[in-house]
Amino acid sequence: MFLKHIDLTTALRPSYLDGEALTFVQDNVGLYEGKYKLPNQQKGQVYLTTHRICYVDSQEPRKHSVALDLKDVERYEFYAGFLKSSAKVTLFPKPAKRASLQSRAAAAAFSPSSPSPHSSARASPAAPVQATSATWVCTICSFPNPVPSNFDPTTANIHTPLPPCLACGIKPALTHVLKASINNATSRQAAPGVTSRPLSGFSPLSRDTRPTADGVGGSSPSGADFSPAASTSDLNTGAGSGFQCPRCTFENHPSLLSCEICGAPLISQEVSSSSMAPITPRTDSPGPTLTTGNVTGLETPESVKISFRAGGEKIFYERLKVCMVQRKWLLQEAPPIPRANRAAEGDNGTLSRTGSGAGRTKTAGIAGLEQMGLDRRRNNELMIGTSFEDLEALMASAKEIVALAESFARQVNGGSDNATTEANALLAESASQLGLITTKDIVGGGSGSASESLYLSELSRNLAEFLTDDARGVLKKAGGVMSLVDLWAMFNRARGGVELVSPNDFEKAARLWEKLKLPVRLRTFKSGVMVAQSRDRTDEATVKALLSWLRDLHDIPPDSEVSWDWQEFGRGVTAQDVAERFSWSIAVAEEELEMAEERGVLCREEGIEGIKFWENYIDTGEYRKRSRRPVTENDRILADLKAAGLL
Amino acid sequence: MLRAFDFPREYHFPPFFTRQTNVNTHRAQLEKWSSLILAYCAHHKLYKLSLSATAATNNNNNNNNDESTTGGAEDLFHNRKLNRRLSTADAREVLEFMRKEGRAEFVGGSGEGGGGDVAWIYWKTPEEWAKELESWVDETAQKGTVLTLYELTQGEDTRGSTFHGLDPDLLQKALQVLVKRGKAQIFGQEDSQGVKFF
Repeated sequence: MFLKHIDLTTALRPSYLDGEALTFVQDNVGLYEGKYKLPNQQKGQVYLTTHRICYVDSQEPRKHSVALDLKDVERYEFYAGFLKSSAKVTLFPKPAKRASLQSRAAAAAFSPSSPSPHSSARASPAAPVQATSATWVCTICSFPNPVPSNFDPTTANIHTPLPPCLACGIKPALTHVLKASINNATSRQAAPGVTSRPLSGFSPLSRDTRPTADGVGGSSPSGADFSPAASTSDLNTGAGSGFQCPRCTFENHPSLLSCEICGAPLISQEVSSSSMAPITPRTDSPGPTLTTGNVTGLETPESVKISFRAGGEKIFYERLKVCMVQRKWLLQEAPPIPRANRAAEGDNGTLSRTGSGAGRTKTAGIAGLEQMGLDRRRNNELMIGTSFEDLEALMASAKEIVALAESFARQVNGGSDNATTEANALLAESASQLGLITTKDIVGGGSGSASESLYLSELSRNLAEFLTDDARGVLKKAGGVMSLVDLWAMFNRARGGVELVSPNDFEKAARLWEKLKLPVRLRTFKSGVMVAQSRDRTDEATVKALLSWLRDLHDIPPDSEVSWDWQEFGRGVTAQDVAERFSWSIAVAEEELEMAEERGVLCREEGIEGIKFWENYIDTGEYRKRSRRPVTENDRILADLKAAGLL
Repeated sequence: MLRAFDFPREYHFPPFFTRQTNVNTHRAQLEKWSSLILAYCAHHKLYKLSLSATAATNNNNNNNNDESTTGGAEDLFHNRKLNRRLSTADAREVLEFMRKEGRAEFVGGSGEGGGGDVAWIYWKTPEEWAKELESWVDETAQKGTVLTLYELTQGEDTRGSTFHGLDPDLLQKALQVLVKRGKAQIFGQEDSQGVKFF
């Protein structure tokens, strides 16, 4: 599945995966499949992130937006455009999956469009990843050893335990093993892996780079390192007939991971048996996403072209190159760094966060909290200690270290200023989440006004996301309404002083909300005050809230003695009262009150205490009816009767 | 002799004394003030209302007429209990509104908002008064007889009729209506005028 449907945020931008970062946006692009245009994907924006290329359609964003994972891209080409033909970037997918793997891939495809674990019994997420088929050649005796199954090149560091050579017993260097496994991974990636797994290169399902010669097999020292999860899940696979080793043809017990005789990794019963079954052509594969549209159904299109009709192709190509080199998606699902066993020796894995719950000493209450804090500190100390020992190790555990540094920074920030701790936390949180900030150099575009408008529309979406993000609740904390000035200040602060937005751009971006159909809207009050509020917050809703509050006041005795009948009329409220009640700013409260007055719901009272607003008992509507018809004889008689009645 | 005037509900509503900015609300406010003033004047048999008097809560200097027919309505525009007051400007606006409705007229020049501080309050218009007079004359079978104006408003015979105690100037206006219709004739001197109904 090369092109997939994607989820969009409220602001109609692709929702990013964990650790994914936006690098480039360009509007007015179209998609081609091979030589043919895709009918529904001809006008939209392309988002280049570290992990994906997302196309968001302008007309029907929710329906026609697609994305392709960079990890599925075999190679990419640049076409500069000629005469009327626009510049294009062509992306070639990795070749079709091998026959033996198709059933597995099909099984994966049944879980709709998400990289969720496969459902087959053998395929517990940990098992296929951790087993390995890579080999390293001992520098001493040239014996090809298997790389330990729990060795992960993205997280390994100098203290990862390495088994000695099976033949001569000499421990290998970390770099040696690292190189071997990376070599293996890269060669595997050329071949089709399991699409949903970035680490599929270590899958036992591959056959071509299987170790040619192997040691004693099952009793290899690496066997001790198999994670419990892997072995238990393997035991769960149903019994049944024996399973033939693909290399030496020995009939193994179906629950074995590797051949008893030659040590070759075995693929699961289910997979192997189904791989022997007649293979259906992929075009007929009934993955659930197939039904959603023909685009995503293109199993392995010949190529996908992105046509840049408004420029930006050069920057896109440059950034794409960088992304393909960085291959950040490899980090995406990397497991946390294994806790250094050296320190864990004493307390037998209590430090390990990934350790099973059973192995954990159960302490409750304050002692438990203290223990936890102690553990965490010890872990951190260990990680920092080991990471800085040599450069290679540091690079290997870079991800963990960065996360640690960020958390330290947050703690320092929070501690320095108690008064604004909450604000700081919010800002720190926001800043880290605002990794996807729109900056002028992210958006491409040719010249002048085109790129300007793209920048603004991206900024507008960015703002809408910032406002509607539930985790931050910016708008919610401000009572659903926020003046544009406050928002501007907050947004720029959340950006941490980088790439600040000018007030001018900010206003323009806010004005675009309406046009882009975003869930927030800009409202201009009579006095010219501009506020941001969510789209569903209408004047009617505000008026309703105000009225119900005023009606409540009929039942609440006022603080001091009042001269009027508060049970009948309630009491007047000032803008200050309203601001406090609805946690609006005063300016907003004033404007809302005046809006309600304009609608005739409230009326005003000007006194020495300032302007107070009351429920409107003056205009109760009976006069409006009368004034419409001319004064008739009837009215006069009525008036007479009234006058007479009073006498 | 008169029971206390029953003020309407709005009179106890503090914002009623502030000029409303909303056009619709303001319109309703004027209507309600207008009917309040009419009802109040009818109740107290006031034929004229003086703005300065009501605003200054002092009506002694304005009682230069024979009867206290000019507004002594210090509690009309001023709600002592609430300590709220309709400002003179706003009161004038109300009267101006009433003038347009034909329910008031400024004494001495009915120019645009001009004139004096005193205004006729027509809780019955001169036409209505004329009708009342006519029907009274009919009922009491006094067509063709001559009555003095004093008799009409202060005399024993009219006691109990609606126009008993009617302001002389207003009576003049009402009679003028009848004269125009040819239903009455006024004659006599300034201070002792008589009227003959046909």
